[in-house]
Amino acid sequence: MENRPLEYDYTVAKMFMLTTIILGIVGMLVGVVLAFQLAFPELNLVLGEGLAEYTNFSRLRPLHTDAVIFGFTLSGIFATWYYVGQRVLKVSMAESKLLMFLGKLHFWLYLVVVASVVVSLLAGVTTSKEYAEFEWPIDIAVVVVWVVFGIGMFGLIGIRREKSLYISIWYYIATFLGIAMLYLFNNMAIPTGLGVSTIGESGIGAWYHSVSMYAGTNDALVQWWYGHNAVAFGFTVPIVAMIYYFLPKESGQAIYSYKLSLLSFWGLMFVYLWAGGHHLLYSTVPDWVQTMGSIFSVILILPSWGSAINMLLTMKGEWQQVAASPLIKFMVLGSTFYMFSTLEGPIQAIKSVNAIAHFTDWIIGHVHDGVLGWVGFMIMAALYHMAPRVFKREIYSKSLMAAQFWIQTVGVVLYFTSMWIAGITQGMMWRAHDEFGNLAYSFIDTVTVLHPYYAIRGVGGLLYLVGFLMFAYNIYKTMSARPVEESELQNASPMGA
Amino acid sequence: MFHWLEKHPFFLAVGVFLVISFAGLVEILPNFAQQSRPVIGTAPYSTLELAGRHVYIKNSCNACHSQLVRPFKSETDRYGHYSLSGEYAYDRPFLWGSKRTGPDLMRVGNYRTTDWHENHMKDPSGVVPGSIMPAYRWMFTNSADIDTAFAEQLTIAQFFSVPYNKPVPMKDGSTTVVKMGSSVAEANALALSEAKVIAADMKDQDVKDAVANGNIPEIVALIAYLNSLK
Amino acid sequence: MDIAQLQAYGYFTLITLLVIALYGYIYHLYSKKKDVDVFDYESYSNMALKDGRDDTPVAPMSDDKVPLEGLKEK
Repeated sequence: MENRPLEYDYTVAKMFMLTTIILGIVGMLVGVVLAFQLAFPELNLVLGEGLAEYTNFSRLRPLHTDAVIFGFTLSGIFATWYYVGQRVLKVSMAESKLLMFLGKLHFWLYLVVVASVVVSLLAGVTTSKEYAEFEWPIDIAVVVVWVVFGIGMFGLIGIRREKSLYISIWYYIATFLGIAMLYLFNNMAIPTGLGVSTIGESGIGAWYHSVSMYAGTNDALVQWWYGHNAVAFGFTVPIVAMIYYFLPKESGQAIYSYKLSLLSFWGLMFVYLWAGGHHLLYSTVPDWVQTMGSIFSVILILPSWGSAINMLLTMKGEWQQVAASPLIKFMVLGSTFYMFSTLEGPIQAIKSVNAIAHFTDWIIGHVHDGVLGWVGFMIMAALYHMAPRVFKREIYSKSLMAAQFWIQTVGVVLYFTSMWIAGITQGMMWRAHDEFGNLAYSFIDTVTVLHPYYAIRGVGGLLYLVGFLMFAYNIYKTMSARPVEESELQNASPMGA
Repeated sequence: MFHWLEKHPFFLAVGVFLVISFAGLVEILPNFAQQSRPVIGTAPYSTLELAGRHVYIKNSCNACHSQLVRPFKSETDRYGHYSLSGEYAYDRPFLWGSKRTGPDLMRVGNYRTTDWHENHMKDPSGVVPGSIMPAYRWMFTNSADIDTAFAEQLTIAQFFSVPYNKPVPMKDGSTTVVKMGSSVAEANALALSEAKVIAADMKDQDVKDAVANGNIPEIVALIAYLNSLK
Repeated sequence: MDIAQLQAYGYFTLITLLVIALYGYIYHLYSKKKDVDVFDYESYSNMALKDGRDDTPVAPMSDDKVPLEGLKEK
């Protein structure tokens, strides 16, 4: 090992790139189907009456959220970890047989879990907790996958040549720890198999069934502490890790202020966890928890914008690159959407605004401008940057990438604008009273009025999916495109016409 | 101290963990010291109701329907009294939901009947013109899983002291006893006797026949659960 | 002292400590500008920019563990 040149090994990164794309297509396709089902309910029978149980909105909905969170996003996080991790630690996976084995084991176990999740959700086996729908046998498998990922991560860090840890590594470590803690506590449950032994029997009912360790209000508190921070440690922290590596690398610009990146890291770590209470405003959780959730949500603007502004300022004096490279466009618009979404969130967390926004489509709009605009764009940009380096070929088509960028941007804008209007309209109609103090609208009035917005949202989602398919095609063709020169690629990724 | 952390990944991880667990420690743990206590009038779910709750969860009804009435006039006008913490004492998991594509169901048992639900689950837009809710016709043929509901009852009675077969105070000063079987056969018999009451109010002949033959379709359990939401 | 009071005191103490730590950190970063190994913090950006197979680490681990020559040699 002493005198061999350093050669990074991207085997595992490539595997996860594949699942990022495939699960992305699945998750987004299901999302588009769901969106059109709300606009045109006949689509609940899209595969006929016989399969209605498996194609109706409610059965598919958890599949959509879990496929994009734990399929697309998580795969993207793993793919970039197995790429970025080696490079900034200056160590190759090939240097350790154990780490290579763990990496591959991680991938195959992950695939098994994904398959079992799809089957169980379609069958309706769910705990009902959002983003934590899996029953206990799958939960245990998830923990195993996570532990393997963690051992691999700390193993790679353990044999590093770079003494200090780059800021992206901090964020990856935080992702690992955060998800581990949240997932474990939120999924605490007692399998009913343990309960039936009290009457001296066994094997009553479904063996995989369990009952939550927490009841009612407590359950809600734990669930939204988890739900909110699954967003933190799935959609924010690791995506920030990506942009701190890929934007400087692609543009050749050093981070505007490395010191600011350190500060916003600690700020984000501390503040984010408190904000979960904002999902439970005006509910039955203690008032002080609700207020704390509101306040910390507003404070959260600071560390979030600390990272986002740091990224935008990294491009200072280099804005011609944004015009020239569609890859950089994705990342710069991604940070912009991040700023936008981290401002929108705190606004919705203010109690009086939340009174209107909660339970409406405005929340759905908020989630999607963050996820489509920030998470999706950043993961695709990361994969575009990685593709020429892991396949040693230039990106198949720059113009296709540019077209994809604009199609998806229009898609996101249609999505969140329609959902804003839908959400605020519905929120206002629910609370409208006539001159005698009676409710002005029956509930169904507030549903039918949303039809045009649901249709527009469907179109927005469809555009995004089309763009994603263009992305998949572009990456697929890249694997057979012209080889790049032998010398190692520095910054801007090579692209075909 | 900080630059030292940057070079010692293990301690960095410990530091990060301390910072992120802080909120949970302060915000969440102390609430568990004060166990969720039921308000007067809140009784545990019967076997059939619990099986119906499982049907509700299986089909992710909570993806579109909330069970949380917020303390606003517009909500209490529409759905009834605002929610109290103790009313959820037997809800494992909670089913507050996060989106009202359809109306809140916290107190749906107060203003909808078995007959209404039967028609509505078969053909929502026939009952509520303009409804975008899909029909749930398979619930009329799938059998409810009474065994699993019974297993859950045993579990919660054992681990969380849920008062089955014990007097529970009601609002009018009386008490009620929610029965739980002591064997699978007894649990099924209890559920069936409840199901017969529901089926008597239903029109679907297949459902009536199934219940008469000792088989409980999902829809019967679901309606039992929805009727219990008050 | 009941649990709510404990919570309040715990919360206040920890928040105070963390605020002091954060401002101490900010003061340290912007007054010293360099870490304990006398590396300018901003130079750490190069961990991403110079991560090729021919690049040397910005702040290498101790020499005996990883000979730098081995890395440079291609």
